[in-house]
Amino acid sequence: MTHRPYTPWLFLLPGLAVCIMFTIFPFLNMIVLAFTDASALGSGQFTGVDNFVRMAQDPKFWLAARNSLLYMVCVVPPLVLLPLLIAMLAQKIVPGIGIFRTAFFTPVIASAVVVGLIWTWLLDSRGLVNNVVEALGGTRIGFLTDSTLLLVSSMVVTVWRGLGYYMVIYLAALANVPKDLHEAAMVDGAGPVRRFWSVTVPSLRPTMVLVAALSAVNGFRVFSEIYLLSGGSGGPGGASTTMVMLIQLTGRGLTGEVGYASALSFVLFVILLGLLLITLKLNRREDQL
Amino acid sequence: MKRRTFLAGLAAVPVAGCGLSGNTASNSAANGQVTGEITFQTWSLKPKYTDYVNGVVDAFQKQHQGTTVKWVDQPADGYLAKVMADASAGSLPDVINVPPDLSFPLAKAGQLVNLDESLKDAKPEYLENAWQAFEIPGKGGCYGFPWYLNTGPIFYNKALFQQAGLDPNKPPANFKELEEQALKLAEKKIAMLGQTPSIADFGLYGVKVFENDKFTFNEPKGVEFVESYKRMYDAGALIPEALTQNYTGAGAKFMAQQTALNPGSAYDLGKFKTDAPSLYANIGITKPITNTGSANMFLHGVSVPKSSKNQATALAFGRFVTNAENQVKFAKLASIFPSTSKGGDDPYFTTEDGSDEARVRVAAAKQLKTAVNYTPVQFSDQMREALLQQLADAMLGKKSPKQALDDAVNECNRLLK
Repeated sequence: MTHRPYTPWLFLLPGLAVCIMFTIFPFLNMIVLAFTDASALGSGQFTGVDNFVRMAQDPKFWLAARNSLLYMVCVVPPLVLLPLLIAMLAQKIVPGIGIFRTAFFTPVIASAVVVGLIWTWLLDSRGLVNNVVEALGGTRIGFLTDSTLLLVSSMVVTVWRGLGYYMVIYLAALANVPKDLHEAAMVDGAGPVRRFWSVTVPSLRPTMVLVAALSAVNGFRVFSEIYLLSGGSGGPGGASTTMVMLIQLTGRGLTGEVGYASALSFVLFVILLGLLLITLKLNRREDQL
Repeated sequence: MKRRTFLAGLAAVPVAGCGLSGNTASNSAANGQVTGEITFQTWSLKPKYTDYVNGVVDAFQKQHQGTTVKWVDQPADGYLAKVMADASAGSLPDVINVPPDLSFPLAKAGQLVNLDESLKDAKPEYLENAWQAFEIPGKGGCYGFPWYLNTGPIFYNKALFQQAGLDPNKPPANFKELEEQALKLAEKKIAMLGQTPSIADFGLYGVKVFENDKFTFNEPKGVEFVESYKRMYDAGALIPEALTQNYTGAGAKFMAQQTALNPGSAYDLGKFKTDAPSLYANIGITKPITNTGSANMFLHGVSVPKSSKNQATALAFGRFVTNAENQVKFAKLASIFPSTSKGGDDPYFTTEDGSDEARVRVAAAKQLKTAVNYTPVQFSDQMREALLQQLADAMLGKKSPKQALDDAVNECNRLLK
């Protein structure tokens, strides 16, 4: 059976049109704007690499880049390991396991704003956590008013929100781990810990790389947690501002510096692309060994 | 950016805007026939004021046969994004509800009709200070009909004052007393304030905020003001969240009785009554703290974009919505005040009936006659953020008050260009 050569394109057209309009065109436009002094109400003039020179001298950029990097480094290990452990518990078929799985997945489907508000109430200087701390004889802790603790609090929320999502990915991967490998290891006398390190982890390594890559990208691009916990301010003196938050603060509103915000977005894209390429390369190298 | 209208909150919305030169709004369009269809966009008036707005629209259509006004209300969240998207696309509605700080960048980009050129006889119909709030000093031109205004008293928590041994009937009347009383409250671990000063607070303190086309709030008086806040912060007279909080957050802390004093509006009083009855039972109301003799004023307006295909009708409708009769009706519904020169003469704004609401209303209406919009129209969101961040650094001792203000002013002037 033959078909006209353009027939597949007709099927692709709707999806392609949406992709071009809402992803590729804005992306290309962002690159163009990065080399201009565009504002929200004007396309601006071509300014060459001025935005990038300014960025190199902008302490806010370096602070935001440092915070984003720190965020990524801190959230990736728990987001790779904890969901795996939870998935191993959740895959057991025992009565009531559905409730357990649902409990862990709930934060994933909860609105980011609702999650942010709940954690703000919990961690506020007069919030539940501080009330407990005070009742136990301690002094109130500035979870949301100290720039370092604000970052740590946001990381905790990010990990909490990510557990369920990555758990589901691990559950799918665990279902594909051959049972006979575990049985063979058991026959050879391997205990549960040994089986975890020698059977489960090697079998799940591609999935772990995927989770690491996804959580690294999401960690570096963090916005909603830090925005909501800091009330949109980036913490006292803006000291907890991350890259995406800096982009938002710079480019928002009718008076936003869209050109500079685009340059920041472009640099963020390059950093994230670099991260993904490194991850992929490491994964391939290990595959070849 | 979280922004609240007076109707949804109060007076935290810095508003002011207008002016700019070189506008070529066409008089021919303004003088053209009032007919055809226009779109009127408001900011979060549905569903509470649906009947009122529909009534205004119907009355206009009856008065001007052959006109159709399509009313579109946008929610408060995302309003700015909506205006920005429409402005970028050149498709703003014919009549838009904007505060001055939104009308300023639109006017600067040449997108709004200059009312001083298009409707030369309109100016006397409005309070001078309200009209001026839509102008840029020295440059002329007005880009919005002043609509509703607000100003407000200072609310304080009498119970917290009593706990600290302060006379609950003698709240601070000036900034010096504010610091003295705040330090006394702090001794009892009670915070007086929920936020660091806004740009309007600098104006109320008597600081020259903006002069000769640049920001100047780092002048010695500004430094003195921040030093006072630093002393209060160090003593614990500001809650820790004050360093990152906007007006809305500070209001919530006052409602939760975590701070002893907060500026407010007539609208807030009703909110305390229903949402915080224990606070309402102890609420004290006093005049705004100002060193200049003039209270702060907040306002909204309606502007007509140049892109309107039916400018004559849009201008006529903008004027109609903001005329004395319609504004007074609206003000009675919404705890706001009219910006027309005659609107404030209505007995509703001049006569007390013994209730707290009437007392606040009459006092606020009186204040509005001399009130000033202390927030320069040029003061953008990014500048607000820069000031907040620099003040936080000053409070935390990372910078001296002088250095923090110098840095804030430099950043604001850079953004001005």
